[in-house]
Amino acid sequence: MAVTTAISEKLQALPEASAVALRLKTDQYFDAIQWMLDLFAAKKDLTTIYITSTIPSQSILQALEALEIPVDHVWFVDCISQIMMSAAKRHPHSIAVESPTMLENIMLKVEYLLRKNPDRKALIVLDSINSLAIHNNTKILSEFLHILVNNLRSRGAYTVIFSMQEYETDEIRNMLVLVSDETLELGE
Amino acid sequence: MPSKDREAAGERERCATGLEGLDHVLNGGIPRGNTVLVAGSVGTGKTSICIEFLIHGALESENSLYLSVTEPTAKLLKNVIPFDFFEERLIKQGRLRFLDLPQLYEKLGIEKAAFDFEEVKLLVDAVAGLVEENDVKRFCLDSVTSVNYRLKDPELIRDFLLRLGTVLSSKGCTSLLVSEIATTGDAIFRGGVEEAIADGVIVTGNLERRGDLLRTLQVVKMRGTSHSRAKYVLDLTTEGVLLVPLLKGGSVAGGA
Repeated sequence: MAVTTAISEKLQALPEASAVALRLKTDQYFDAIQWMLDLFAAKKDLTTIYITSTIPSQSILQALEALEIPVDHVWFVDCISQIMMSAAKRHPHSIAVESPTMLENIMLKVEYLLRKNPDRKALIVLDSINSLAIHNNTKILSEFLHILVNNLRSRGAYTVIFSMQEYETDEIRNMLVLVSDETLELGE
Repeated sequence: MPSKDREAAGERERCATGLEGLDHVLNGGIPRGNTVLVAGSVGTGKTSICIEFLIHGALESENSLYLSVTEPTAKLLKNVIPFDFFEERLIKQGRLRFLDLPQLYEKLGIEKAAFDFEEVKLLVDAVAGLVEENDVKRFCLDSVTSVNYRLKDPELIRDFLLRLGTVLSSKGCTSLLVSEIATTGDAIFRGGVEEAIADGVIVTGNLERRGDLLRTLQVVKMRGTSHSRAKYVLDLTTEGVLLVPLLKGGSVAGGA
């Protein structure tokens, strides 16, 4: 796995309610997901709410299945399948948001899943800031991140925001600095 | 602030709606005894808000009554059951009651298509009787618009709402009156009788933004409390009605 021991240790040591920007390269994408769900969330006994606007949740689920990673405590907020008019059957742990432009609905689905799973601490993975930036302008995206992260922080949840280094802009970097407690870079 | 502390501070006792987001917007809930208009176009969540308000009341041992004009009880119950916090015992114990208004009309012998002052008085007295008899603390009329259709004169509408509000408030009953408004219009701001008389006005609506249709909620007026007047986006879920702030970066000029 490409995730370095140093990063792994840093993440494991994070206090509750932390918000982290995880900068990764495209070829590290699936390693990062695997590490996040299989090691970080499982070790800390967390419910994971995985917001995907990069690839459909079904593709991530297939990858997790191939890697034999259990998804009992993983829930997806899928912002991309509906807009793709995907005919694929939806997994019972996947909730659709009509479009990645409906940022309020993403917050609402996260809220819903947090209420559905009140007994465990939560990890919210936002995958990714770059794909959301394709569909939303910086102003509304900053506002969304600011409200979402602070809300999650107040509930003691971990937030990890994926950012693909190849697609980062200065605006995205500034946004991440503003809302995150720490920025970690995979493979640094 | 807890209810007792509020009273000590000279504030009115609150009736927490149980809708977490709405209670937050209202600084703790609706001032007890207020008559609140829930106005909105179709499919914006008015009935869900009312039903959730009543279920939470019943769960807190407050008798709750839903008077329906538009949908029969059996159909309404189908909307209640999906709520994760709904408990069947509430209906069995009589804490949560559903009544069809047409049945009440029949019982009162009101058959006319257009009501006059006598029928209005009869109807308000009948509601007052139900509230007193069952010690009802939360009441919903869905919808007041349907009743108003039978009141041809605005003066009659005013009389009906004033009488109803006064009677319910005197019994310590907090009420939601559902009002239907046109899908595209902003009828709430037309200066209608209902809005002027009600203690509070909650507007639900649809906001179209770049082709997306968002359900929104806004508390326009609420006597007896300071409150947010901002617009929120709502979602109807089995966990209840959820609210988050409308992101301003995406607001459109003149948006509903």
